[in-house]
Amino acid sequence: MAKREPNATPEAEVDMTPMIDIVFQLIAFFMVISNFEQTQADERVKLPRDALAKPPEVKVEHSLVLNVGFYRDMKGEKTDTQPWLFNFVDGEPVLPLSSGGQLKKEAKLFGAKGIDLKEVTVKVRADSEVQTGIVQELIKLCQDAGFETFAMSAMSGPDE
Amino acid sequence: MARRRKQSKGEKLETNMSAMIDIVFQLLIFFMLTLKIVEPEGDFNINMPAQGQPTNPDVVPPFPDIKVKLRANPDGTLAGLFFGSRNLGIGPAAFEQLNIEILKVIGRPGDPITKDMAVEIDADYNLHFSNVINAVGACTGRVDKRSGNIVKYIEKIKFKPPTPQGGAA
Repeated sequence: MAKREPNATPEAEVDMTPMIDIVFQLIAFFMVISNFEQTQADERVKLPRDALAKPPEVKVEHSLVLNVGFYRDMKGEKTDTQPWLFNFVDGEPVLPLSSGGQLKKEAKLFGAKGIDLKEVTVKVRADSEVQTGIVQELIKLCQDAGFETFAMSAMSGPDE
Repeated sequence: MARRRKQSKGEKLETNMSAMIDIVFQLLIFFMLTLKIVEPEGDFNINMPAQGQPTNPDVVPPFPDIKVKLRANPDGTLAGLFFGSRNLGIGPAAFEQLNIEILKVIGRPGDPITKDMAVEIDADYNLHFSNVINAVGACTGRVDKRSGNIVKYIEKIKFKPPTPQGGAA
């Protein structure tokens, strides 16, 4: 015991290599799957499901996304029967049928950017329980604002 | 030279890993927190000619539009799916039947004449939108069970202008 020098404590060496390997694997995984694309989708909208809805192969260059949905509670139940247009004007929900003025403003904005409205696809992300008539009237308002191309979004997957 | 080699023989090169590990963990946490799981979404393109636009009277469509009617219960659920005047019923079986009927009309999927065909969907005002999507899906095609590819039927989908709420259904 006396022979041992007080300063010669053995240094604990941990082999870091496996941990670094795994951590790099994890980073690579999260980097690959993370999607930084700014989407205008709103998670309050419970999209209908259809087997035919496959993600488009060619991305649309210019689009205007309209999220029509309901306020829902934690369980996903509707808390209000009134559908709202989410994520449209400064994050404030608006009534779909009173959005005509704003749609015209959006159309003007596209025009100011030099984009022809024919090249703009209006993506209607409507909740599965929204009344069809409201969606149709909203499309009508878009047409009045000058938009011509429309697409309706659905989750891809087997029907419920 | 010989002496130097002798000295370095047993030495272990030590790199300070702690800085790298710090950064690597930071990155890991950043990517973990920014991860947002999004279910894949698809789009159905629809043909909505602007109302009030003069249609060219010289161009007569070679085929009349296929009429698909969707009638709703007061609570918005589907009361009946009609192909022409035939009631196909409700539920997933009705949409499958609609898919079969459309196939009968077009004869062969991918036939060039399907480009001139169009389906007009006439839905009640208060019908839940999911039924419309299912009807559009049934008209646009089906998923081939063997290959998983989409077999396209009719791509032109039109909508009948909505009847105002409370109007005759």
